[in-house]
Amino acid sequence: MKVLESKNLTKWYGKEVLALNKVSFQVDEGDFFVLIGPSGCGKSTLLKVIAGLLDYDGGELYIKGTEVKQIPPHKRDISMMLENYALFPHMSVYDNIAFGLRMLAKDRSEIDKQVKESLKLVGMEGFERRSPLELSGGQRQRVALARAIVVNPSVLLLDEPLSHVDYRLQRKLMEELKLLHQRLGTTFILTTHVQEHGLSLAETLMVMNTGVIEQIGKPDAIYTRPATVFAARFVGDINLFSGEVVSKRNGRYTVKTELGELQASVEGDKDYSGHKLAYGVRPEAVILGKDAAQCENHIQVKPINTYYFGNSVECLFEAPGGVMLRVNVAPEAATLQTGRESVVGWRAGDAILIEKPSVIEGLNIEEVIYGK
Amino acid sequence: MKPQEVGIRVYVAALILLVYLPIVVMIVLSFNTSGRISFPMEGFTTKWYNGIPTGYEYASYISAFYDWKFWIAFQNTVYVATAGAIMTMIIVTTVAMALRHRVVGRDPLFYLILLGFVLPGVALGLGNNMLFRIMNWEFAWWTAAMLDTVYAVPFGLILMMARFDPDLVLYERAASVLKASPLSVFRKVTLPLIRWEVVSAGIFGFVLAWGELIRTSFVMRGTGVISTYIATELAINPITPKWYAVGAIVTGISIVALIILGWVLSRGQR
Amino acid sequence: MTAQPSGKTGSPFRIGRYYSYMLLVPGLVISAIFLVLPLAIMTVVSFYTTAPSSTGFLPIFTVENYFDFFTSPQTGTLLLNTFSLAFIASIICFAFGFPLAYFLTFHIKSRTLKNYVITLLIVPFLIDWSIRTVAWIPILGKGGIVNFALMSLGLIKGPLEVLLFSRNTLYLIWLQTYVVFMEFPIYLAMNRIDPDLINAARVLKAPPRRVLYDIVFKLSLPGIMAGFIFVFVSTLGDFITPNLWAGGVQTLGLSISRYSNNFLWPYASVLSTMLLVIAIIIMYIAFKVVNIKKLFYE
Repeated sequence: MKVLESKNLTKWYGKEVLALNKVSFQVDEGDFFVLIGPSGCGKSTLLKVIAGLLDYDGGELYIKGTEVKQIPPHKRDISMMLENYALFPHMSVYDNIAFGLRMLAKDRSEIDKQVKESLKLVGMEGFERRSPLELSGGQRQRVALARAIVVNPSVLLLDEPLSHVDYRLQRKLMEELKLLHQRLGTTFILTTHVQEHGLSLAETLMVMNTGVIEQIGKPDAIYTRPATVFAARFVGDINLFSGEVVSKRNGRYTVKTELGELQASVEGDKDYSGHKLAYGVRPEAVILGKDAAQCENHIQVKPINTYYFGNSVECLFEAPGGVMLRVNVAPEAATLQTGRESVVGWRAGDAILIEKPSVIEGLNIEEVIYGK
Repeated sequence: MKPQEVGIRVYVAALILLVYLPIVVMIVLSFNTSGRISFPMEGFTTKWYNGIPTGYEYASYISAFYDWKFWIAFQNTVYVATAGAIMTMIIVTTVAMALRHRVVGRDPLFYLILLGFVLPGVALGLGNNMLFRIMNWEFAWWTAAMLDTVYAVPFGLILMMARFDPDLVLYERAASVLKASPLSVFRKVTLPLIRWEVVSAGIFGFVLAWGELIRTSFVMRGTGVISTYIATELAINPITPKWYAVGAIVTGISIVALIILGWVLSRGQR
Repeated sequence: MTAQPSGKTGSPFRIGRYYSYMLLVPGLVISAIFLVLPLAIMTVVSFYTTAPSSTGFLPIFTVENYFDFFTSPQTGTLLLNTFSLAFIASIICFAFGFPLAYFLTFHIKSRTLKNYVITLLIVPFLIDWSIRTVAWIPILGKGGIVNFALMSLGLIKGPLEVLLFSRNTLYLIWLQTYVVFMEFPIYLAMNRIDPDLINAARVLKAPPRRVLYDIVFKLSLPGIMAGFIFVFVSTLGDFITPNLWAGGVQTLGLSISRYSNNFLWPYASVLSTMLLVIAIIIMYIAFKVVNIKKLFYE
């Protein structure tokens, strides 16, 4: 069942900046829906439009089946946790959380019960009498979260909840958000500019780019089969080369790229013969060592640098013609000496072919691949 | 939200109208040919501004330009206001800087200074009047300026403290670590950073002293400042457009001074 | 407090503490001479006996002046008039000043425009007292604009006299003069409100009037208090305006000026001291209710 639907939603800032360009999508009830995209892509704007804090200029927006253009934020069945938390400084933690309930004119005992429950859910029992000014960043965030969920909305909006939090807390917070979502069953719509968070949290992922939707789908679908070069680039790391399909045999394409002729076998009915497109392979799909030479695609490369991540190592190689290749392997496999040439390879099935540079019209695929 | 938006605009417009209506009326009527100050206007003339006196009129009939007493009062007002401005600047700056550090009696001191404007003008005026008599001090413009300073300092202080850059102490520390003497630290580091706030304090001091009557009436003698001059004259003279002309002149000068203030404030904000 | 070589109080200079105290000297001197001393003299003189001497009083301690004050039948009226006039004027200024500050904060976006509006509002304050009030005559007087308009519209038969020499005129004039004093501190406080707080309130189901009250009003309270005190104190001490334009309403300030003009210093001092004491009590209570320091100490 759809809890939210937008059709051709458009929003201008002033006369020059188009923040939302005919955005159409829907969100299913109970989903954990994540919006990712670079800064300025419109995700915060979209969230605020859904909340009713910003008005939209064109298109339609439906929350639980009702068009909301005339409906002000306090009458919409949504709640929101803002990026900077915005806890009311002149109220205690208890009053902050009780605020929404008081606006809904619930009675005192009911409010008391729900506030205490909310505090328990976010692990902040005992903090009722404190002032928000005394709390640490993480504590403030929990209070903001409690405040937003206590009003029992159909849709909970979270604007960049992971942004002002340090690394260790980020992981913890993500786990808690997921747990909370499971417990409450409320639809979550969350924005973040860090794509890894998007991948981990989302049941449905939506990639945005300057006011348009690049791709919506399950995270693994977007990761393994990105619809556009932009989506491929933004979600996860990828090695991308521009190429042209020269032949097709038994469902396998031969693509001419600057690395030479590479093989790709992709599923689906689409025929890419003769097309210009982008050829991509994810760093973790590339193999080092003696098995590399057995792959359909293998290249002679020179190691440039390695980056140690603890549980993996990223190696930067230079292929003939000066092309850079990123390879992600487990630490044991990365026994290299700088300067020594070696062979890397990957299977045809791990290759990704993408035709569209981006949903935005008129972009040159080469420019999107390599940057301007 | 539309009707509310319209409502507030109407309210604000009415308020501004209220505030400016008398001024407009005053300026318009200052050109009236008749000696009365009511509508309708009989004719247009600038005689109240620069009509040549015959030497026999009451104060109400001498044109503004030729009313030498008025210009003395004007001069006094300028002196008082300027002196007040300078004193205010000095005191506001020194006190604001001192209050940043944890000095003993910081709070009581702050309240003491605040007392300067929280005090009804009459009390301040009366007390000072008696003080001057006892000490046999002259009732001159510089003593009036002191009173105005006492009143204006709290304004300037609040303004300055509200806009003090918290990094200022860091800059000063850096400078003194680099072996700068305290005086040059002040001149080269502190002052440039707070100069707009200092100037604002000065302008506050000027503006608040300019139109003041109550306190000043207790501590000035003779022709006094503009406000006391007009008040005393109006008590015994009939009201004529001449006074409107005087008011228009004073208003004009005030507006100019305030435009400068507005410009200063907008420059000082980041 | 021993002299330590490094500034442990956080001051940048080696003998920083002493510099801070030195900086306070000008302020303290001026305050002492022109603020503390006059008040002290005033309080002391209020206890002196009135006598036909060169100074008008003799330095003999007496409480008869205070006795006169507390037993005089006029005292009650005097106090009531003075404080109620000031209080009502403050409320009126708030009724106009608050929306004005709101408009300035939330409805005008350009910074320079905001500054110009504020500046514009201060102008009437600068025009001389007498002229400002005199300028109302052609508007509110018998032959004035308002009466002219009302009569030609047929709403009244003869000119309204009550417009000019009544308490309403007084409030009108005071409003014109002091609304800026009310509006500016409120504006300063409102400006500081994080707009996201308003957004948060809106998504937390607060209708616009609750946002106005629970968020905007409550968070600008320090400014409102400051403005209220400015206006209250200013109108308390203003004896000229009520005297001229409110049909001879007796206020404390007027009495003070009369008695001092007649060289009856002790009684004038009594009145002045009582004015001060009551004003301070009122303000102390107000300070307790709202912490003004929040507005100043950031």
